[in-house]
This record gives sequence, structure tokens and C-alpha cells, in this order.
Amino acid sequence: MKRLKKHLSLALLFSLVSVAAVVRVAAADKDPQSVQVTIGTILVSNQSDEFDAKLKSMEKQLRVLKYRSYRLLKDETQNVPWRGNKSFEIPGGRSLNVAPQEFRNNRIALKVRLTERDKPLLDTTVTVPNKGNFLYLGGPPHEGGTLVLSISAAVQ
Amino acid sequence: MNECERIQESIGRWLDGELNSAESERVRAHVGSCPECRATQQKLEKIELALRSDLVAQAAKLEFAPFWRALERRISEPRPWYQEWRDRLGVAPRSAWAVPALIALLLVLWSFDSYFPGWRGGVATRSGFAAVDSIDAHGHNVALWRENETKTTVIWLYEDQEGEHETAEEAPKSGPAF
Amino acid sequence: MALSDWELVQKCQAGEMTAFQELVSRYHQKVYVVILGLLRNREDALEVSQETFFRAFRKIGGFQGGSSFYTWIYRIAVNLAIDAQRRQKRNPLDFRESMDGLLESQDEVARDPFADVHDRELRENLIKAINDLTPEHKAVIVLRTIEGLSYKDIGEILGCSEGTVMSRLHYARKKLHDKLSAFL
Repeated sequence: MKRLKKHLSLALLFSLVSVAAVVRVAAADKDPQSVQVTIGTILVSNQSDEFDAKLKSMEKQLRVLKYRSYRLLKDETQNVPWRGNKSFEIPGGRSLNVAPQEFRNNRIALKVRLTERDKPLLDTTVTVPNKGNFLYLGGPPHEGGTLVLSISAAVQ
Repeated sequence: MNECERIQESIGRWLDGELNSAESERVRAHVGSCPECRATQQKLEKIELALRSDLVAQAAKLEFAPFWRALERRISEPRPWYQEWRDRLGVAPRSAWAVPALIALLLVLWSFDSYFPGWRGGVATRSGFAAVDSIDAHGHNVALWRENETKTTVIWLYEDQEGEHETAEEAPKSGPAF
Repeated sequence: MALSDWELVQKCQAGEMTAFQELVSRYHQKVYVVILGLLRNREDALEVSQETFFRAFRKIGGFQGGSSFYTWIYRIAVNLAIDAQRRQKRNPLDFRESMDGLLESQDEVARDPFADVHDRELRENLIKAINDLTPEHKAVIVLRTIEGLSYKDIGEILGCSEGTVMSRLHYARKKLHDKLSAFL
């Protein structure tokens, strides 16, 4: 009887664990309180050969742009409230506004707007892995080179 | 616990010869002078004698020759496949729980991210592409590029407005060498 | 001079069936009596005894002499007997049949010159009391009472510590004592 009870308990525990796991995965992710967004402002050019040591962690990704020089101008992190938005100052009178939209399957959907002197340059909706790979937004000219913005996010 | 209770805890081991000489002597001396403990000793011995004589007498009747013949037959006969499997499962019944336990573990790991987002720690795992769901470049040329090896996603905004270049051969002035 | 168990095992491992036969002849009654003590049914005990030696034959190639042969064979026997007990679907009819079988033997025991004469009531209740023990408690009491094995050997056979053997024996004896006091 004891052995039967032991096996029944184990079977019940296993079933509960399995059901909890399946139900949890099937359900939508709970909205986080806020999202920590990090914007790196990188100046790329072909004027010299340098690679900023502070960019070491993303060297492989940046090198695909095939520029000769990479310099980190600014690295800014802000906690963006869920369903809210925050702006990041970008050199050249520009601004990047980020608004979290959705969190599902450990990926964060962001609405991103790049403006220059209040004029919209780009509106995009992107999905980035939570604490995962960066998205790179490049193109705006600056001081003889080009700005590349690295965008990453982590839920809080 | 009084002395009798202590001794009664030890009577079994004393009868089994599992006490050291000092403890053994202590029990022997007490049992010799305590009617209650002596009665316990005698009852235990009687129980074990009854059990032993009953079983040993029956075992003595087991003849070797027929036992060996039956065993030889069993050894030489091929065993049915289901009996082989029953033996294997019977040998390690707990291992039968290995499969459901593994399934449960995989399900828990699969759902772990749902319960503990970002549990993999401060260092980004760099797994998975960033995806672009929509782009509005407000009249500018824009390129979207993904590089598989490094899982890099790039949105490139070209400085020149759409339609500023007369021919397709004139490429935009700025841009990476993708 | 008779060969030791280990020498016989080595001969078995070399393929000598006569060596295995000798081992069986040395231990078949010892194994049977332990299993009978656990199962209390002659037919089942015989079947499990046969299975014990069959398994020993199949596994003897892997026996390396880390333990003595008899603790190894008892381990197989006790494990099979405990499994058999768990598979047994005891019902009153089975119980009575097994009791009848054992009580029938009582007359034979009475005629057996090597056995003491025991009270019928004590033996009936002894059988019931033993059956009420868990397989693990039954195993320790049978191995100790019938075979006089040390706690260390019993621990090796059952795969538990000497302390566990001691506490199980104490518990089993206390249970038997409490249930059979009136008949002693």
C-alpha cells in the first residue's frame, strides 16, 4: 500500500509539473513592469583604422558593415515603462524614441522612431530577443562618418 | 528511559551477539536479575525457535535431484521475450521513472523562460535574430539586411531622398559595403 | 579437499557446469528456506528459488568476488522474493491455502526428530504476525533467525547499513513480541 501511495504521489507530481509547464508556455507572457533599453551610438567611417575597445563585445556584428573605423560616442540606458516611451538623444540634433509594445516568447516588440530636428526620419516596429542580440540602425551622417545605433532591450 | 527499557532495546542485539563485551556483560547481568527482562528474552527466543523449526524442517525436505533437473531445464529452455523485458524492468524498477522524469524536466526547462524571463543571466545569450516587423522611412531609401553567421540585423537609412538620383546606376553616397 | 565457493565460481565462469551444480547443491536449501520465510507458500518459494539460481547462472560471469558467494546469492533471492510478495494478490483463500500447507507440515514437524514441539496457536499467529510485517522487515528477521547472518552480511544482502538492519530487526521483534505475547 505504501509503495502504491508513493508511486501515485510521484505520478501526480509529474502530472502537475507537466500541466503547469504546458499551461504556462501556452499562455501569453505576463506584461513586464518596464523594459531596460540600451542605445549605443557608434561612429563608423573609412577615415582611419581603429576599433574602439569598448565595442569589443559587438565586434563581430559591427565588422559586417565593412567600415575601417568604429568609435563609441555614447552608451545610454533607460528604463522605459511598459506601454510608455522614452527618448534618447542622438548627435546631430536627432532623437530616438522607443516604446515597448509586446513581450511574448521572451522577445520584446519595440516601436522605434528616429527624428531629426523633430522631423521623422524612420518609423519601425522591431522585435528583439530579451537580453539578446542587438538591432543596428545606421545611416545618419555625422562628422565625416556615419552613425550606427545599437538597440537592445531587457525586461524588468 | 529506565534501566529495563534500555536493556530491552538491547536484548535483540545481545542475542545476536552484536554487542561488545562490556555491553553484553551489562545486559547478561541485568537479565539474570530482572524477571521482566528475562521474560522478554525468553519470549523472543521462543518466537525465533518457532519460526526456525517450522521453516528449516520444510527446507530439509527439498530434494536436490529434482530441483537440479528442473533448473537445468530452465537454463536450457529459451526465455520468452516478454519475460526478458520484465526481468530487466524488475531489476531496476526505479529506472521506469527515468522516462517520465526526463519528460517533466524537459517541459520545465522549456517553460523556464516563461516563469523567469532572462534567467540565463546578465550576459546576453546573443541567440536569435532581431526581427523587423514594419518600416516607414518617410520617403528615404532604406535597406534591411541580416547576416546569418553573427545573427546581425541592420536597418540602413540612406541620406538621399527617394527620387533624387536620376538613374539606377547612381548609387547613394553613404552606406556600408554589405 | 572440497573446493571453496570462489574456486567453484571461477570454474563456472570457465564453463564447467558441474561446478555450478555443486554450488546449487550447497545452497539450494538455504535459499529455499529464506524465500519460504518471506513468501510462506511452498509452490511460490520453489519457483522463486529456481529463478534465483537461474539468474545466478546468467550473471555468474560478472561476479567478481567482491562479496562472498552466499551474500550474492541471498541478495538475488531476497530481491526476487520481495518482488514476488509485491506481485502476490493475497486473498483469504490464498492465505488459508498457505496456512493449511504450513499447518499440514506441523504434523510432519512433530514427527521430525530434530524439531521441537510447538503450540498450534502460537504457530498460526506467528504466521499471521510475520505476514503483517513489510517485506523489508520480514527479510531481516528471516535472514537473522534462519541463517544466523551477521548484521553486516544482512546489510550487504539488503543493500542497507548495519544501523538500518538493527532498527528493522528491533522493530520486527517488537511487533512479533507484542502480537504473540498472549501465546507465549
